Amino acid sequence: MAASSSSSAFHLMRDENDNQQLQLHHHQLMASSSSAPPPPPAASAPPPASSTNKKRRNQPGNPNPDAEVIALSPKTLMATNRFVCEVCNKGFQREQNLQLHRRGHNLPWKLRQKSTKEVRRKVYLCPEPTCVHHDPARALGDLTGIKKHYSRKHGEKKYKCEKCSKKYAVQSDWKAHSKTCGTREYRCDCGTLFSRRDSFITHRAFCDALAQESARNMNPPSLNSIGSHLLGLSQMSTDHHNHNNHNHNHNHNQINQSLSNHDMLRLGGGSRPGPQFETLVGSGFRPARSSLPPPSPALYSLQQQSNEEDHHQQHNNGMLSNKASSSTQLHGLMQLPQLHNNAANNSTSNSSTAGLFNLSFFPPGNSVAASNIDGGHHSGGGGDQESTLFSSGNLMSMAIPSLYSTSHAIQNPSGGGGTAHMSATALLQKAAQLGSTTANSGASSLLKSFGKSSDNDHHHHSLHGHSFIGGGGGTATTTVFGENDNNGGNNHLHDLVNSIAGGGSGSIFGGEIDDYRSSSGIFHGGGNSSNQGGGFSSLEQGRLTRDFLGVGEIVRSVREQQQQQNAAMDNSQSQAFGGGANFRN
Amino acid sequence: MFQEDGSSSITSSPLQMLPMMSLSPGMTSPYPWLNELKPEERGLCLIHLLVTCANHVASGSLENANIALDQISHLASSEGDTMQRIASYFSEALADRILRTWPGVYKAFHSTRIPDLAEETLVRKMFFDFLLFTKVAFVISNQVIVEAMEGERIVHVIDLNASEPAQWCALIRDLSARPEGPPHLRITGIHQQKEVLENMAHVLTEEAEKLDLPFQFNPIVTKLENLDFDKLRVKTGEALAISSIMQLHTLLAPDSSINKSPSTPMNNGLSIHLQRVAHMNQSTLRELLEKDVLVNDYSPSNDSASSSNIESFLGALWGLSPKVMVVTEQDSDHNGKNLMERLSEALYFYAALFDCLESALPRVSVERLKMEKMLLGEEIKNIIACEGVERRERHEKLEKWRRRFELCGFTNVPLSYYGMLQANRLMQSCSNSGDGYRIREESGNVVICWQDRPLFSVSAWRIRR
Repeated sequence: MAASSSSSAFHLMRDENDNQQLQLHHHQLMASSSSAPPPPPAASAPPPASSTNKKRRNQPGNPNPDAEVIALSPKTLMATNRFVCEVCNKGFQREQNLQLHRRGHNLPWKLRQKSTKEVRRKVYLCPEPTCVHHDPARALGDLTGIKKHYSRKHGEKKYKCEKCSKKYAVQSDWKAHSKTCGTREYRCDCGTLFSRRDSFITHRAFCDALAQESARNMNPPSLNSIGSHLLGLSQMSTDHHNHNNHNHNHNHNQINQSLSNHDMLRLGGGSRPGPQFETLVGSGFRPARSSLPPPSPALYSLQQQSNEEDHHQQHNNGMLSNKASSSTQLHGLMQLPQLHNNAANNSTSNSSTAGLFNLSFFPPGNSVAASNIDGGHHSGGGGDQESTLFSSGNLMSMAIPSLYSTSHAIQNPSGGGGTAHMSATALLQKAAQLGSTTANSGASSLLKSFGKSSDNDHHHHSLHGHSFIGGGGGTATTTVFGENDNNGGNNHLHDLVNSIAGGGSGSIFGGEIDDYRSSSGIFHGGGNSSNQGGGFSSLEQGRLTRDFLGVGEIVRSVREQQQQQNAAMDNSQSQAFGGGANFRN
Repeated sequence: MFQEDGSSSITSSPLQMLPMMSLSPGMTSPYPWLNELKPEERGLCLIHLLVTCANHVASGSLENANIALDQISHLASSEGDTMQRIASYFSEALADRILRTWPGVYKAFHSTRIPDLAEETLVRKMFFDFLLFTKVAFVISNQVIVEAMEGERIVHVIDLNASEPAQWCALIRDLSARPEGPPHLRITGIHQQKEVLENMAHVLTEEAEKLDLPFQFNPIVTKLENLDFDKLRVKTGEALAISSIMQLHTLLAPDSSINKSPSTPMNNGLSIHLQRVAHMNQSTLRELLEKDVLVNDYSPSNDSASSSNIESFLGALWGLSPKVMVVTEQDSDHNGKNLMERLSEALYFYAALFDCLESALPRVSVERLKMEKMLLGEEIKNIIACEGVERRERHEKLEKWRRRFELCGFTNVPLSYYGMLQANRLMQSCSNSGDGYRIREESGNVVICWQDRPLFSVSAWRIRR
């Protein structure tokens, strides 16, 4: 591999040494390069020089137009010892050094002479195609420079400072840093000390900006919040379209992939992908720069609703063809199929739930109301009803907040044994209602207050425009419960509950044992007292009996209602409570 | 009728009861009929038993409480339906309260417990991942901040509980895209664990670098109540926003050091007094307070406002002149003096949360179990079993917070229509799991509900000049 001295031989040798060379082309950069673009080499053509010509000013890497442009492959560029001595295999970075080395082996050697002729300058391209210095017009002037550039910008940072963990790709950078790391302190005018220059500079940026800001005397620019909101809205509505389109495909992954890993505002882990939210936070949230004409809020809301409707309809397989124009009705629509399903499920499976809430909230005396709502269910399933239908749906949902959760439980396979169960909230409300009806005596029942407060909530709800359930429901609720009260004579629930708290002791659930003990007339309300006590007396502990009296009553009241509605009675169970059957008059 | 402190009226020897306090649900039930209850009946039964038991605990009749707990143990299960689960945690909490009446026993019982902060952090993260509440709070909070910071060129955000980078990643994106160009942003994160803050710094720095937004993260490893306000490094000229997500209630506990001195109703003077805190180089707020109490150089005054850290803390925040402060809190009154009040309020609150989990995750889910036990269960236990300084989960309703903020010199900033829209959009976008979520607006503030039960409130405040 004896190399002659000329520069062309130098190139030749590089050719031999390295087959992987990406490109090697010699061409003269014309002064006005527009005339002759270089013949594009195979892999990556440099962009036409005419376009880069304009950007030339101020940028680094502005080579002499006459220079020879050399493109090296990354491997060649990064090779440390390209010139190897054939005797001892020692490698050198430069040919000249190898020649000097060969002299020691007494091999023929030839140093390049300081040429008297004018040496053509060489410029080097960065092999990274995306880099600005990949363009011949921006080539860098020396080999070391391009090497360092390539390592720094496109290479791995292998050298880590042990003191401050800063990493460098070029060893000399690392050395230079190591010498000064920790030795120098940077003090900002504000008095803060920094050991690292970069953090100091970041800080200074803040401090300077701060000073300017203070100088401007904190005059806030006029806030054009409305405008930005409108812009934001327009952005949002387009986003919304997007998300609807994606819903069509159910192609969540696409969206997920397009978003960054750091987009941690995602929905519950793997189980429920929520790309829509990501789009929301990712872009819809921003004040938009788009040039779309801002729609008025009213316009938007209409649009939103119709979109929403589309969305729902997809999920419902187009079951609902009715174009509703307000969100209230929409939600009414939504509820009805659920209601229907719910009722259907329950009627077939002899589950207690349907009967339970029909009964508990619409006791026998209220059969008119109950049947109305039943009608609502079925016609709702058909999807051909109008506003009356919606209102009944609303009534239901207002009256029975547990409705949703019940249907949840059905939809959710986690329900276990297949029987639907009431949500905990619904149970508490039920307990509270049992409590509130007994509060005639003005005794302070603990759970009574819940009943009240939840009623208030409903009312509140209906007052606010944001409620998903239409207005008027609140009043419906109270009337239903009111009737419940008035029906006293017919209503077992009322009787029973009365009987529990009849003694007038503090709470329905009777705080103190002594109260139970002393109030022998506790059952006077129902007139069925003889039976009631009986079932429990079979229990072993007297104390237990007393404790469970209240529960027995509640449980029985539920059961009693179920029996009336379903006419399906489980004798063995009700025996345990001491003759629920006897209890029926 | 109920007594605050159950320990005072114990008449029988407490130790006799210990052998009876077996709570294992696995043992065969002596009351076979209990097993035949239908779920609704069982649920009602459990509610009744819990209330009964709590009454016994409150009145100090521990023997009866023990019996009730025994009965509950046959019906409740931490892996059953929602009511069974809730009952498990409430009964555990009641038992814990009973046990605390014997401090020696209690301490011995818990002497080998290993605190697992990492796991707790993980569970909180799950709460964020699986439920919408925190996300909605984030979206609304960020919107408030973005609106308040419009046109500001240097923005400083203080996060009183910097555990979740997602909120600030979103903010970084919002700010970098705003029409007037990105501001300089500094986020000061406060958290007990260094690792959490490091992770946060890493994630946020990367995000900011990606978007080319000038960014600094200032981590402060401390408990909130020991926060050194100097470390916040708030500078004149920067626009400050403060974000607190379910943190402030932990400062409602009475300060034990203050309580020790005989006559110390806290006062309005203190809040003014504490404005000094920002300027003084006292090391911690608490130290300062203690000194002040010793010197007693402020006039003791007025009302029954509980003597707690909160006024001083809010006063110090006021002294930082934030442009806006966004506060998310549990919207339920779990700070009553009376155990029964707390129990009933907590029953409702956690029933809704457990219902929400029921709709979000299957019953066998390990994540759900962990969240229920390590997050919600611990909160329940804290509300029911603890008193004094130890009781940190002192959730209060928005109305009470409003009065407190106003007392400390803040005034309410109504949330924008756009913020509401965003929250609504978020919930609609997750229509599957989002069915039960609702938000509603209450005079400029937002209440996030599960079904009809308000669970969290989001409100924004600025200082009154």
